Order: sequence, then structure tokens, then C-alpha cells
Amino acid sequence: MTRLAIPRPIRRAQRSLRDRLPNFRVHRSGILLFLGVMGPGLIAGLAGNDAGGIATYSVLGAETGLRMLWILPITTVMLVVVLEMAARMGAVTGQGLGDLIRDEFGIRWTLFAMVVLLIANGSNVVAEFAGAAAALEIFGVPRFVTVPIVAAGIWALVVFAGYRVVERVFLSVAVVFLAYVVSAFVAGPNWGEVGRGLITPSVTFDPKTLGLMVATVGTTVTPYMFFYLQSSVADKGLGPEELPLERADAILGGIWTNVIALFIVVVAAVTIFPRGIHIQTAEEAAIALAPVAGNFAKALFAIGLFGASVLAATVMPLTTSYAVCESFGWESGVSRKFSEAPVFMGLYTALIVIGAIVVLVPGLPLFGVILVSQNLNGILLPIVLIFMLRLVNKPRLMGGHTNPLWLNVVAWGLTGLIILLTGILFGSSIASWL
Amino acid sequence: MFLSQVIGKPVLDRDGGGFGKVRDLIVALGEQYPPVTGLVIRVTGGREIFLPWSDVEEFETTGARLHTSSIDITTFRQRPNEIRLFMDLLDKQIVDVEGRKIVRVNDIQLAPVRERLRLVAVDVGLAGILRRLSLSGPGERLARALRMPIENYIEWEEVDPVESSVSSLKLRVPHQALATLHPADVAHIVEQLAPRDRTGILASLDDERAADVMEELSAEDQVDVLEALPPETAADILDEMGPDDAADLLADLSEERKTELLGLMEPDEASDVRELLTYGEETAGGLMTKDFITVSPDDTAQQVIDRLRELQPDANHVYYLYVIDADGMLVGTITLRGLIIADPDTKVREFIRPEPISVTVDTDADEAARAIARYNLLALPVVDEDGRMQGVVTVDDAMERALGEGWRKRLPEIFEPVEEK
Repeated sequence: MTRLAIPRPIRRAQRSLRDRLPNFRVHRSGILLFLGVMGPGLIAGLAGNDAGGIATYSVLGAETGLRMLWILPITTVMLVVVLEMAARMGAVTGQGLGDLIRDEFGIRWTLFAMVVLLIANGSNVVAEFAGAAAALEIFGVPRFVTVPIVAAGIWALVVFAGYRVVERVFLSVAVVFLAYVVSAFVAGPNWGEVGRGLITPSVTFDPKTLGLMVATVGTTVTPYMFFYLQSSVADKGLGPEELPLERADAILGGIWTNVIALFIVVVAAVTIFPRGIHIQTAEEAAIALAPVAGNFAKALFAIGLFGASVLAATVMPLTTSYAVCESFGWESGVSRKFSEAPVFMGLYTALIVIGAIVVLVPGLPLFGVILVSQNLNGILLPIVLIFMLRLVNKPRLMGGHTNPLWLNVVAWGLTGLIILLTGILFGSSIASWL
Repeated sequence: MFLSQVIGKPVLDRDGGGFGKVRDLIVALGEQYPPVTGLVIRVTGGREIFLPWSDVEEFETTGARLHTSSIDITTFRQRPNEIRLFMDLLDKQIVDVEGRKIVRVNDIQLAPVRERLRLVAVDVGLAGILRRLSLSGPGERLARALRMPIENYIEWEEVDPVESSVSSLKLRVPHQALATLHPADVAHIVEQLAPRDRTGILASLDDERAADVMEELSAEDQVDVLEALPPETAADILDEMGPDDAADLLADLSEERKTELLGLMEPDEASDVRELLTYGEETAGGLMTKDFITVSPDDTAQQVIDRLRELQPDANHVYYLYVIDADGMLVGTITLRGLIIADPDTKVREFIRPEPISVTVDTDADEAARAIARYNLLALPVVDEDGRMQGVVTVDDAMERALGEGWRKRLPEIFEPVEEK
């Protein structure tokens, strides 16, 4: 049979190539509706438990024992408040945070916000590579082998496999963190003391403690999360009518994330703090899992840290590139060719390459790098929070869904607190230098 | 002249006295190049006042100069067809219709056309960004060194607003510019938009075009769009889609929504779709469409051609015609080629291709797809147990089924399929 021109079939075949996502479908009713809506908040929260999270919480427990536990309920409130606002803005406006900043504040503020986001997320990418390198050093793999392979792997994974796959793996790796919960119960801390630690604030104004506090805030509430969450909600096409479920998702995500954080700090406080070890390597941080895994503690820790690091390193450059390109109106999407979306692909590639190169600097202390990056996130956080709070309170954008007064008091109060904390940190650092 | 060059510049009265600063420009939409109709001035004290353009004597990048010194100060009121360029358009998302992309307005170009200052183009390039950051000189040198494209202007005619971003327009966005595009291109644009901007575009197209665009969208996007549209509009679009596509789409909706939409559709279309919905997804019946043309063995070639002229079928239904007897039994096929080379008075039975390859409605869908591949068919007839013609499986549906997922996995995502122009 001769071949005939078949206009529609060819078009449709092209469409089927374009239509890359698997055709799973959520019937939007009842429990499935809930599950369909559930997710973005949980994922955004869990992204906080990446290399930066594990390292910071471990160090916090190892350096201060149970003394600083009280900071966790505060960061939980912070995280829940911020995630809820991001989800609400996504649902009501149908737009990402970068989009809204550009729409409402113009190009100069957008440039400023994007530079802040680039620095914060760039430092996070560095932290993730440091985490991956530290994890594999446990198995004796040198970092100059790990880092280039991971970098190339991540780049290819997103470009060739698509981001949804990554998102699902993200959720499953979170299971590793349950090891910390089990480890805490096996190690058997004095739970009464844990309870007291949670409700008794005690602050010493030395730069080390202050630095740890800022890093804890920075790793729990990362600017990356709000950008990610708001875009996810908007992209899923969730609207104001699904707000209660989105809210539940954001709140549960925030709480669950910090429950894990609590267990990491407690375990580190019980297992590492008494030995007076100052964590420098992943091997030392892995001691925390010894109660549950014994001789396998190192392997378990390495797997968890590696998985969390690699996955966060995958999502972070992507979210950053999307936010930047959308707010400047540049073509974006991993399915674009390099020539079609030069800035997007360039930025995505550059973030990975630069993140990898920084970690390859010989003699760099990996855990130190991670902690510094989380500090940087904490310092930059208020800037992003202020943008968010200004936006969420615009009736023109949010209609009847602006913040109620009490929420504004809480949110602005916490933002002020972080600025104050950062200020004291700078002050005391300078004072201790002099 | 660019908007960014005039915002914040001083406004002087007739005698050269300071009056205030340029805050915004107002244009009236509707013409090819919308004329500037007014000026918003921030006067000392922070109040905004509106001046009709007739009060403006001179308007340059250095500032504005007015006719008058005493001004009837009326606070600004926007008429329904007017927009404020700085507030409503600058920094917002728009559709670049020619480039089929979503872009942002970095700056706005104004020029005198037919004796009036008019909005002629939007600047979506790097030049606009640099100009607004006051970095034009060094920025452009750097960009040139990096061989980055600097200038990118879109004529106002080629601009289509994105509703949620340009929401303050408060206009019923006509999406005229989009109506001229190929449905595949509209679909390409729709896919880039946020979910809530999609429905506005679909609703603004006529039903037939909307259906064409719909068929180009991915299954997931189809469902999202259809659920967001008002039920009546959704049903009208479904009427215009092929029954197989409509059935596939409806099968993915919730039970209530499906029933509601079927009730609103044209009875004929709805009954075809209902029938298709009864077949299992994994069978030839589930894959087939009800759009096919039948002829009788006793028709002459001329009669068949006349009938085709009358029916004006879509291109892909015309290659094979199915010959059925009085009982509806499939007895053979004729091809378009056979039909046009036959003498006009020849009866169909004389150039029929008898014993056609066919499958039954409950044949496995993969089996049907394989048959099409094996025999190089464009369409495969589907019959019931008794041999009565029920529908056809077309090559595109079969291809999607046979290759769909596999191709997607094998083909790196970085390579986009070539767009049909």
C-alpha cells in the first residue's frame, strides 16, 4: 500500500510524544481528592530534611544536648505558618511566588529577590553535594569521584527522566528518616528531660550557639520551599475551594518535618553529646544511628544522607531556574532544547556545575560547608518572608483570603525575631573577633 | 520612546512651573495601535490626578509640558476600554502569538502614528530589562560579547493577554490574535499557561476550534480544562470532538460530571459516545470511533462521490469507505483511490475489496493495534459478533496505544517533536 499523507494522525502522534506524563488520573472525590491535594506541602516540608537538615540537627544535638530543644516548637510554628501562606497564595492566585513578585513589585525588586534566591539555593546545592560527598566518604569513596558522577547523574535524570519521577522518589526516601525515630526509642533518652528541654528556653549569646540557632531556622524554613510549594499548588490547578485540604497538607507537612528534626536532635544529644565529639565528618554523625543499626549505623546513615542529598540537589536547581525564568519571562522547561531556553538550561546546568566545583575544593570541611550554607539561608530568609507577607496581604490579589490579624502578628513577629537573631549573631561574631 | 523613560519625569505647566511627576499613561484599546488618551500625574502631596491628553502640549523623554496652568483637577477615573500602561501592562505576562510563547512585558514602546502617540509594541527582550535597571550600556556590551540576543519587540497586534496576570484589565479578553493560529499552536500556548488561564482561552474560541485545540492537548490537560469550563461550553466542545476522543476524555471524568455533560450534549453525539463508553478500555471497542462512512454495494461511484461532497467528511475518514449490505454486515471496503479511478457509472460491488480485515468489538486493543501495523492500514473496521459494522480503529489511536509510553521513555525529553507548521 502506498503511503498517504495523514495530517491528523501525524499531529496526534506528535502529541503523544509531547504527552510525556503517565496517564494516571485522580478522580476528584472523597479520599482520592484528599490524596490528590495532599503532597506538595508534605514534599516541601520534607525537603527541609536534606543534607543541610540532617547535618544541622545532628550538630545542634551533639553540641548543645537537649538544651536547645525549645527552638524546635518555634521553628515548627514558623514553618507551618509559612507553608500555609504559600499554599494559600498558590491556590488563590494560581501563580508562583516569582510570578507574583514580578507582577506586583516590578523589575528591580524582582532582580533583588532572584539574586537572594540564587544565593540561598546556590548555597543549598553546595550543601547537597557536600552531603553526598560526605555520605560516600563513609564507604571510602573520595569526593572527587562522587561529586562529578552525582552532578552528571542529576543533570541527566531531570533532563531525560522528567521531574515527576524524582518527586515520587523523594517521598519514598523520606522513609529512611524513620530510622532516627526508632534509634531515639532504642537509645532511651530521659523523656522527662526531653519534655523540659522543649519548653524551657535557655540562650547563651556566644557566636557558636547563635550560629546554630540561625542555621536551624535556615534549614527548617528554606526560601526554596515556598517557591516550590506555591508553584506546585498553582500547577496542579488547585483552587480556593480546595483550601481546607491544602491547609491540612501544609500544616501536616510542617509538623511531620519537625517531628523528624526533633528525633534527630534528641538522638544526637543522647549518643554524641555525652562523648564530647564535635561533628566534622559523616562518620561521626552516623554514631546517632548506632542504637538502632549497631555496626550498620554508618551504612544506614550514609544511605539516608546520600539519598536525601541527591534528591534535594535534583529539585533545588530546577525550582530555582523555573522561578528565575518565569519572573523574567524567559522560556523555561526541561523539555526545551538548549537553544530554545538558553537561560533556563544554562542556569540549571550552572547551579549544578558550580555547586559541584565548590565541594571539590581540596581540604574543605564538608560539614562546615553545610552549616555555613544553612546559616546563609537563615540570614536571607527574612527578605523572602517580607516579600511573601506583603503579597499575601494584598486584597487585590487575595480577595477575602488575606492574612487574618493574628496570623500577621505571628508572622511579622517571627520575621522580626529572625532579623533580631541574625543581628545578634553578626554583633557577637564581630565582638568575638575584636 | 519607551514607557520606562517617561515614568517619574517632571510635568511642567505652561509657564514652566513644576506641577508633578508622570505616574502612568492611559491608552484606549480597540485600535490596531491604541492611542494614549490620558496622563496620570502624581502631584506634590502624593495625590494622583488624571489629565486628558488634549491638555498635553509636549511629551518627551525629558518630561511633559502642559497647555494650561490652571487645571480642573479631577481624580482619575478609568473608562472600561482603557488600561494604565504602567500599572496594568508593565511586568505582566502576555502571550507572544507569533512566537507561541508566554513572555513578560519588560518595557512598552510608544510612537507617534497618525498624529497621535500610540502604544505600538511591547519589549520582551533583554534590552528592556537593562533599560529599566539603568544598565543599558555595560549590559548590552556584555550581552553582545556573550552573543545573547538583546532586542525582542512584539507588535501590539501579536500580543494576547494572560488573564490572571493582566487581571486588572477587567476587560472581556477577546483572544482575537489566537483565533488565527493553527489549533496545535494554540494547544502549545495553552499548555504553557497556568490552569486557570486555560479555560478563558478555550471559552473564547468557537466550539469547533476549541475542540480541535482540545484534541491536541495531553489527556491530563484535557481533563483539567474540561472540569474548569462551564458545563454548557464543555458539552458544546465535546459535540465537536471525535466521538472516540470525547469518550476517552469523558471516561476520565467523575461519574457525576460525565452524566451531566452527556445530558447536555447533542443527542446523536451523546448516543455514539455512550455506546463507546460501554466497551472496555482494553478492547477494540474501547479504541474505536463511530466516525466512518458506509456505502451500499449497489451505489455507483458517482453516487458515492456525490455523497462525500455532501457529507464533507474530515480528511482521515475519507481514505476508506465501508461497504455494508442491507443488514449492516460488513462485506468489503473501497479505497479513495479505487473510487476516483473508477468509471462514474461502475457499481461499488465491481471495485470492492472483499473480505476485509476486521476485528470484533471485544478483541484485545493491543491485538487490534498490531493488526493495523501488520497490514499497514490507515483504519481497521470493528464488527460485532454477527459481523455488523460498529466502528473503526484509526492508525493514530493504534499508534498511540502501541508506541505511546514506550516512545516517551525512549525519546530523550530534551528533543522536542517537530512542530507542524
